[in-house]
Amino acid sequence: MNKQEFLAELRKGLHGLPPNDIEERLTFYNEMIDDRMEEGITEGEAVSGIGTVDEVVSQIIAETSLSKLVKEKVRPKRAMKVWEIVLLTLGSPIWLSLLLAVFAVIFAVYVTVWSVIVALWAVELALAAGVLCGVLSFVILIVQVNVAAGIAMLGAGIACIGLSIFLFFGCKETTKGLLFLTKKMISGIKSTFIGRRM
Amino acid sequence: MDIQLKRGLLDVCVLAAIKNEDSYGYKIIKDMKPYIEMSESTLYTILKRLESANMLTVQTAEHGGRLRKYYHITDTGLMKIESFKNEWKEIMSIYRFITKEDK
Repeated sequence: MNKQEFLAELRKGLHGLPPNDIEERLTFYNEMIDDRMEEGITEGEAVSGIGTVDEVVSQIIAETSLSKLVKEKVRPKRAMKVWEIVLLTLGSPIWLSLLLAVFAVIFAVYVTVWSVIVALWAVELALAAGVLCGVLSFVILIVQVNVAAGIAMLGAGIACIGLSIFLFFGCKETTKGLLFLTKKMISGIKSTFIGRRM
Repeated sequence: MDIQLKRGLLDVCVLAAIKNEDSYGYKIIKDMKPYIEMSESTLYTILKRLESANMLTVQTAEHGGRLRKYYHITDTGLMKIESFKNEWKEIMSIYRFITKEDK
C-alpha cells in the first residue's frame, strides 16, 4: 500500500469525525510517513510501519469521546429550512420519545449487566457468611452437648467453604467477561457513528 | 506497565523530548524509543492534550520542500517537568519503604 492509498483509506475510515479533526490527523500521518521515508526506507515499509488502517482507526475511535461523535452526527450539514424546523417541532412528541426509549434501553442493559455482577457476588458473600455460621453453630451446639447437630452444621460450613472457593473464580471470570462485553458494546455504539460511508 | 501510569509518564516524556530544542513528531518517537515505545496515534493524542493544556505550541516550518510541524515547549510545560521530578522523589522514597524488607 502506498502513502496515498493509506491516507485515502484512513479518510474513509474516519468519516463521521469533525472534518477539521480528519484533516489534522491526515496531515500528521502524512508527515510521519514522509519522515520515515527520509531515513531511506521504501514507501511501502514506511506505511506498514504505521500499522494497518483498521488498527489506526480503532485506536482513534477509542480515544474519541462518544459525545463528540454524537455531536458531529447531529450537527446539520447545512442551514435548516423553515418547514424542516416546523416538522421537527411538530414531530417532537414522536422522535423525542423514541430517542428517550433508545437511551432507556441502553441504560437498562447497563443496569442488567451490573445486577448480574452484584447478584453473583451476593451469592459468594452469602456462602462466606454460611461458613462463619456453620462454625459458630458447631461451637454453640457442642457446648450444648448436641454433638450430632453440631457435626452436621460443621459439615454444612465446610461445604460452604468449598462452594465459595469454587464460585469465587466463577465470579471473577464472569465479572471480567461482562466488563469486557460492555466495553465492546460502547465501542460498537461508537463505530455506528464513524465508518466507511462517503 | 499499568496503563494509567504509562499515560502519565508518556506526557512528561514527550515534554522532555522537546525540552532542549524544538522537535517534530517522528523525531520525538525515535528519541523516546530506547526508553518507552509509543505509537503514532498515541503521540498525536498526547500532543493534542499538551497543546490544549498550553504546555507546548506548534509551528509549521518548511523542510525539504514540504511542511513539517515543530513542537515548542512553554513555561507551563517546563513547570510540568519540574513538578513531575518532585513528585517522583516522593514516589522513590515510598519505593524504598516498600522494598526495605527485601534486604
